Amino acid sequence: MKKKFIFYLSIIILLGSCHPGGIEYYEDTDVVYTNYDDSFDFQSKGVYAIPDKIVKLEGELLEGEEPAFVKEPYNTQMLNQIKSNMTTLGWTTTEDPADADLVMFPAVWTNTTLYYYYDYWCWYYYYYCGGWGWGYPSVSSYTTGTLLMTLVADGDEYIDPTRVWTANINGLLSGAYNSSRVTKSIDQAFTQSPYLKTN
Amino acid sequence: MIFGFLLMTAKSYGQQDSYMSVQYSVSFGTGDMGDYISKTSWRGMLIEYRGYVSSKIFVGMDAGWNVFYERKDYDTYTQGTESLSGIQYRYQNQVPLLATLDYLIVTDKALKPYVGLGIGTMYSERSTDMNLYRYELNSWQFALKGEVGLLYEINYSSAVKLAVKYYNGFKTNSLGNQGYVSVNLGMAWSL
Repeated sequence: MKKKFIFYLSIIILLGSCHPGGIEYYEDTDVVYTNYDDSFDFQSKGVYAIPDKIVKLEGELLEGEEPAFVKEPYNTQMLNQIKSNMTTLGWTTTEDPADADLVMFPAVWTNTTLYYYYDYWCWYYYYYCGGWGWGYPSVSSYTTGTLLMTLVADGDEYIDPTRVWTANINGLLSGAYNSSRVTKSIDQAFTQSPYLKTN
Repeated sequence: MIFGFLLMTAKSYGQQDSYMSVQYSVSFGTGDMGDYISKTSWRGMLIEYRGYVSSKIFVGMDAGWNVFYERKDYDTYTQGTESLSGIQYRYQNQVPLLATLDYLIVTDKALKPYVGLGIGTMYSERSTDMNLYRYELNSWQFALKGEVGLLYEINYSSAVKLAVKYYNGFKTNSLGNQGYVSVNLGMAWSL
């Protein structure tokens, strides 16, 4: 009897210790994705234009309606970081997009996902909805934030404006804006895109 | 594992030389598995049943579970024109289920060295977490095991068991060869 008890106890202890760790902090979820058109010759270009406002995507716009924009000072912080990286890679800016080799379009959006925990048998028999707390539906949610940077070419060689570089920065949002997370991810987008460097 | 329990219950009486064993496992991945997770696995267990055939030969079953985990620091992964940077959390679960044959080299002393072989299947489950997404690969693989170990008899019905095992799950369509070495320490009780 004692042997069996030790046998089962050791199995329970060993099984109980088999779950490893995982994500602990919001910034642990930060990812930076980039992709580019490898037929586009970035090296021979060198002038780009960029708007002075970052669009905040919030849904479909009605005709004539202006989109929402990122509030200050976050708008300027992000734009300055993008410009700083482009300058480091040898690019200069121009006010008029018509004079530019490429146009940078930054945009942000957030996405909230709701989780419902609902004891689905509750509707059937009231006993299971009773006062222990576990019978009631509860809701939890998480929100992710995305910054998209797109370089678009529309020179003579293109019929339509064409996306030649895309950077997508995404992470789980905490309650407060964390500028160091955004700055670090913008820098990373350019670090992993060395082909953007001009002569 | 359940089958192991049933075996124990069914054969608890009248076979004094058969035994059950529970062991704690520490494991290291090799080859493709070692490349995927280089950290040592400190989470593992093994249940064994061994049935008496002769004083030197035992046959039985192994059911194990080894959990490998590694947090890969922030890094960039590039494929073609695409690059993705972030922290990866890598998990791999190995569940070997094997028929076994052990050969005791020494039988007349308290310390009994032995060698063993195993054949059967191994369930491999590989998960990679990045951002809020999980990428999974699962496979049942044909598996072989080689083993060397020591049994040290404490008294007429109990022994300490120390074993080093090498498991190899053979390549399937979804997963390459998965191999690992595990060092096991546990108790054995005669039935």
